Amino acid sequence: MSAQLSVGTQFRLPPRLMTRERMRWYVDIQETVQQDTGRIVTQPPTIHDDDAYAKKQGLPGIISDGMVSTNWILSLLVDVFGVDAASKGRLSTKYIAPIYEDGVVIACAQVTSVLDNESGETVYGLDVWCEDGAGKKLTVGTAAVHKRRA
Amino acid sequence: MATGRYVTDLDQGDVLGPLEYTMSKFVVREYCHANELHQDCFQNDVKVAPPTLVHLDKLRLYKHACPAGTGPTARVHYEYDATIHAPIPVGVPLRVKGTVTERYEKRGRQYVIMQIDLNTAQDDKPLITYRDTVILAYKKAD
Repeated sequence: MSAQLSVGTQFRLPPRLMTRERMRWYVDIQETVQQDTGRIVTQPPTIHDDDAYAKKQGLPGIISDGMVSTNWILSLLVDVFGVDAASKGRLSTKYIAPIYEDGVVIACAQVTSVLDNESGETVYGLDVWCEDGAGKKLTVGTAAVHKRRA
Repeated sequence: MATGRYVTDLDQGDVLGPLEYTMSKFVVREYCHANELHQDCFQNDVKVAPPTLVHLDKLRLYKHACPAGTGPTARVHYEYDATIHAPIPVGVPLRVKGTVTERYEKRGRQYVIMQIDLNTAQDDKPLITYRDTVILAYKKAD
């Protein structure tokens, strides 16, 4: 598939709702990873899963952790480029608008450059972003994927 | 030096860690499950971790260097910027270190930038260089 990619090619995942459950999954995975006991570990209240705590911090309600958006963009890149997207290159994302409960999120990427290097790789430069259902950008960034040539 | 208490105390020049740990298949599978990374390379034939897991090394370093916790305000993550030098291997000892490179105020909010270097523990092979930017409080200072 990658051999057919050229500058301007765009990919996107289907729209997803940033549900309360999706936010909580990211909250709980944080301590689960730290403890690595083979069990899921829950966390104390955060701005991502507790309305009262979020409001106390000046937010109108719970907001998604930005890393959920970044991981959805990574997922899109892995769908397109395979495990090479997780193996060498770069991913940079900036969270320019908060994502509230049940907001629509669409992960997108567009190829901006294609370059063969002397290491037997094709290096793809990409713009990456997440947008809402109206096309408003929520997360913006860039990526580079080093795809091994066959 | 501003380590030893709250995350909100951190300041330019602070060094967090290094710490060593080993990436497990359980961590990769559950992290990917939580983030809907359902690809075979992260759920079945698990040999590498997603590079985004380096973000949780920040929390590992915070917990070690700031044992009193977050502090009076909740952080908001603003930017993730990771250069992937090599895949993060599963089942191999890793070493992670954080260095606070900047702390500054912008439009009434405090920003902290930390560089996190993830290497293999045995031969110090660079895996990820991660630049993390957080806002220390959503509320603007008066």
